Amino acid sequence: MRAVTDEKAIVPKIQIQAVSKSYPGDKNPVLALRTVDLSINEGEFVSIVGPSGCGKSTLLYVLGGFLEADGKVLVDGKAIQGPGTDRGVVFQEYALFPWLTVRNNILYGLERGALAPEERARIADRLIGVIGLKGFEDRYPRELSGGMKQRVAIARTLACDPAILLLDEPFGALDAQTREVMQDELLRIWLETRKTVLMITHDVNEAVYLSNRICVMSARPGQIVEEFKIDLDRTIPRERLFTSDAFNKTRNEVWISVRQQALAAEKLNARV
Amino acid sequence: MQGSDRFAAFRSPVGRMVPLVAMGLIWQAVSATKLIDPSFLPSPLRIGHAMVDLLTGREICDNLFVTLARAAIGLALGSAAGVWLGLMMARSPKFRAYAAPIVGGTYSLPKSALIPLFILWFGIGTATTVCAVFLSCLLPMVVNTFQGVASTPRVLVWGAQALGARPREMLWQVFLPHALPDILTGLRVALGFSFVLAISSEMIASTNGIGKLIFMYGENGAYDYMFAAIACVVVVAFVIDRLLLLLTQKCLRWHESATERGPA
Amino acid sequence: MEREPSKRALQIRSVISVLVIVVLWETAARAGLASPLFLPAFTAVMAEWWTVCADGSLPADLLTSLFRAFAGLFAATLIGVGLGIAMARSRLVHWIFDPVIALAFPSPKIAFLPIFILWFGIYSTSKILLVAFACVFPIVIGTYAAASAINRVWIWSAYSLGTSNLTLLFRIVLPAAWPRIFAALRVALPVSLITTFTAEMVGGGGGMGAALMYSQRFFESPTVFAYILTMLVVGLLLDAIMLRIQTAFPAWHSNA
Repeated sequence: MRAVTDEKAIVPKIQIQAVSKSYPGDKNPVLALRTVDLSINEGEFVSIVGPSGCGKSTLLYVLGGFLEADGKVLVDGKAIQGPGTDRGVVFQEYALFPWLTVRNNILYGLERGALAPEERARIADRLIGVIGLKGFEDRYPRELSGGMKQRVAIARTLACDPAILLLDEPFGALDAQTREVMQDELLRIWLETRKTVLMITHDVNEAVYLSNRICVMSARPGQIVEEFKIDLDRTIPRERLFTSDAFNKTRNEVWISVRQQALAAEKLNARV
Repeated sequence: MQGSDRFAAFRSPVGRMVPLVAMGLIWQAVSATKLIDPSFLPSPLRIGHAMVDLLTGREICDNLFVTLARAAIGLALGSAAGVWLGLMMARSPKFRAYAAPIVGGTYSLPKSALIPLFILWFGIGTATTVCAVFLSCLLPMVVNTFQGVASTPRVLVWGAQALGARPREMLWQVFLPHALPDILTGLRVALGFSFVLAISSEMIASTNGIGKLIFMYGENGAYDYMFAAIACVVVVAFVIDRLLLLLTQKCLRWHESATERGPA
Repeated sequence: MEREPSKRALQIRSVISVLVIVVLWETAARAGLASPLFLPAFTAVMAEWWTVCADGSLPADLLTSLFRAFAGLFAATLIGVGLGIAMARSRLVHWIFDPVIALAFPSPKIAFLPIFILWFGIYSTSKILLVAFACVFPIVIGTYAAASAINRVWIWSAYSLGTSNLTLLFRIVLPAAWPRIFAALRVALPVSLITTFTAEMVGGGGGMGAALMYSQRFFESPTVFAYILTMLVVGLLLDAIMLRIQTAFPAWHSNA
């Protein structure tokens, strides 16, 4: 079944093959995902957009190894075995440990590695600088704003230096201004590190602004119905990009596709 | 309504003591009129006198120590077992299914009803008291720990797993810290129960302890001493409860409720 | 992760769990692993339970105890709700009672039993008053918290609509505070039972607790067990009733 190749570069970083997932419902099981296929190459930034409740987060949880599903999920050609540090996850709800300070949250994942304590502290200090939270190292998450919490969550994930970043609506709980700042920071980090990223979002602008490729998912049961390749110059600043024709053309195409799925979802819900 | 500064003096620690002192003075005045038989209601001065007498002797300290030791042993064993059971119930649906009817059934049983049973089994003395305290502390700890662990958000669990936490580490690094506020709430309830059960069981089945002492003073008609011993119990219970509250605040500086309780 | 078993499987396990205990109990007693004095057989306890029910002694004791518990709880509710609201509405009342409550709340009320016996004798009066004394603190604290958490805008708008103080109390303050008052009552109910039983066990004067101690003193183990099982069932039933009331009126949930 599996094609054996000697050239590693040809094997996609992530392969999702015929993945289906159903939840136990009141009477019948509810199908959340139906035979989803998706391949992501190393260094690619892929976004999944779709109407709410379409199962896009479920796909990310399956890839994270948190949920079991039918079908195959391969990373570097090997089937995943539960959660792992090769896939860093950022959740919409931040998922910071409220009983740990900013620094200890960032150190949490590092403490399992083979690094010496001084090296860990150095990495944590550097990341605290990167996310601009110098002076907040010893604060608890409850003392931080939403944007600051999400920065810590991203830093905590980056600390383990995962090859893959899984982002589950990472900026969904933030206000519009903070969201833009965070998007710029994420873009900068991605341009620097060129990690493989899969992001779930319902914000079309965000998806077009950040990704190489956008997959549009249908209403439940979720399937990937359309794909868009994005080829924009990432080096030009946000203001110019957002007002450019290329950006708007792509944005409108994606938006219409998502809107069709959202309307279909509305109809589906109205019938239920 | 706005001039809150006028009330600042009333809310100071000294200001808060004023009503208590005033009540004592009224009580003293009523006693002085001798309208009420002083043997039924000893005056605060006489109680104070008895208290000084008690505190300079060994009787009350020894008996109070015995009671506190019994309560502490029962509380420690009951809390440890309760946290363990609550954790097991929250983490294993199978275990929960078997344990739930037993926990639910005994939760609303007035635990002091078991004292006669323990007297049958263990006779009169420390074992009976400790067992009664143990059982009364066990259930609030089980229920609160269960709630705290079972309510751990799945993203917190997943977040730890994605950062490489192993199943054994999850317990200490995720589930128990998340349950800590609930466990401490349960501990405060259990602390209250431990006093009640230790004292009731001593009143029923013991040859020593503060419960027995209070009862003996009552039977011998030494009412001023009885009142003084009860006052000692009230003060000790109050101080220990406050200490636990302080410890709770220290342990939960990270918790949302810390803002309501004042600056961290 | 373990898979969550079906509801049916859980119920079956619960039944199994209880059955296993009863069967173990019965066989241990029958096999003579424990002397009947320490552990009478479950069937013997049931037979004794039937006897004490039939001769009317257990129902009479139960009625006495329940009367004491409910009378005390009723008095505690009247005083507790009234004082709690007064403390929330008046700084003076709050100033006077707050230190007393802070001091008395954590204290084991049963320690006051000898005083109540001294003043009110060993029969119902002392029990009812001790129960009221034990239950009043959680109710005051619950009511005070509830009444001071009422949205001030409601009270202001009620006043601006010309509401009198009394109407305000019954139409705004009590309904708004009720869910948390009810939650406090659910806490106070087992307190009333445990206080009644314990006071009867310590001080005598009839009721379930006194009968329990009496049978223990004469080593009538089946009777001891029969009374304990009855207390267990009564505690369960009363809590189930409170829960049923709470679920029947969703608005009464404190977190509604």
